[in-house]
Amino acid sequence: MSGLYASSPIAIRDDLAKAHARAWERIGRPGTWWDGAARVAIAAETRHAASCRLCRLRREALAPGAIEGKHDSLGKLSEVVAEVIHHIRNDPGRLSERWCRGVIAGGLSEEQYVETVSVVAHVVAIDTMACGLGLDALPLPHPQAGVPSQHRPVAAKPGGAWVPWLEPTDLGDAEADLYPTGRPAANIMKAMSLVPDEVRGFFDLVSRQYMPPLAMRDFSREYRAISHSQIELLAARVSALNQCLY
Amino acid sequence: MTHHRDYDLNAVTGAVESNAGVPHGRLLVEFAEAVLGEEEAALTRARAALSEAIGPPGLVDAAGVVGLFNAIDRVADATGIPLEAEKAAASADFRAALGVDRFDVGART
Repeated sequence: MSGLYASSPIAIRDDLAKAHARAWERIGRPGTWWDGAARVAIAAETRHAASCRLCRLRREALAPGAIEGKHDSLGKLSEVVAEVIHHIRNDPGRLSERWCRGVIAGGLSEEQYVETVSVVAHVVAIDTMACGLGLDALPLPHPQAGVPSQHRPVAAKPGGAWVPWLEPTDLGDAEADLYPTGRPAANIMKAMSLVPDEVRGFFDLVSRQYMPPLAMRDFSREYRAISHSQIELLAARVSALNQCLY
Repeated sequence: MTHHRDYDLNAVTGAVESNAGVPHGRLLVEFAEAVLGEEEAALTRARAALSEAIGPPGLVDAAGVVGLFNAIDRVADATGIPLEAEKAAASADFRAALGVDRFDVGART
């Protein structure tokens, strides 16, 4: 086994281990709207949020917004960024458009919001898998120097999500590779397209930790050690536990 | 092949405890519940039982899928994306039967 899982007591597929290594390297690099230090701080806060007392009280409350207080935060990010990370990490089934608009009005740009969602999602995907296997969480990457590119696709516009996205028909040369060919782009692929590099990065992880886009509906063969039906049962049960309709 | 089989989708919502028509389905569901739960002993039991049934490579792939969908759900719900129109139409009857439309982000305040 290579790299991150070289000492793992259970063999991790090499392509999956390499995808995790790429994801970790990406988190440490300057992103599009956050620098490397901020991205690693978002990753660290995602882990730290698991033990937040305020989040626990809100999760148990019928009206979470009625519970006031401050998050148990590492203190390296603004309060609004900490709120985004903690809410997404700890109570995703009660995220709402009103809340999303509120945190953006509270000082976070739409682009920073999307990039934050992506870093949280990367960490949740990799850490949850480690938890399932009984492995220690991977050490976080070291932040790399550099400045964010601040690339906003010119054709991004309001669509079906709470943040602007790119329709396949609006892709410019810089985003021509963003969506798969051979099938329509699912909304989950468009969701973070305001920050195209996060779509590329997250779906690199999706392809290895789940399946490549064209394999999802190819029932003529199996691509993993578990079958399509076993994979979809797991996915559906997780989504029901998270109260996610999508 | 996965086509043309009967599946009991009530296992998805936890309404029934069954294999859902999927090989080792109950063990897979118990594993997913344990990973997202907070009881270490339950997770240890579920992991061992699933590994015994499907082997370590299957366990790795199962843990990967649980992790990935724990993340995808957050991307979907943090960005408020709707179901695609064709998927919404195709799934309307069983979504209603399972009572999962209450999870729709568009209905949240």
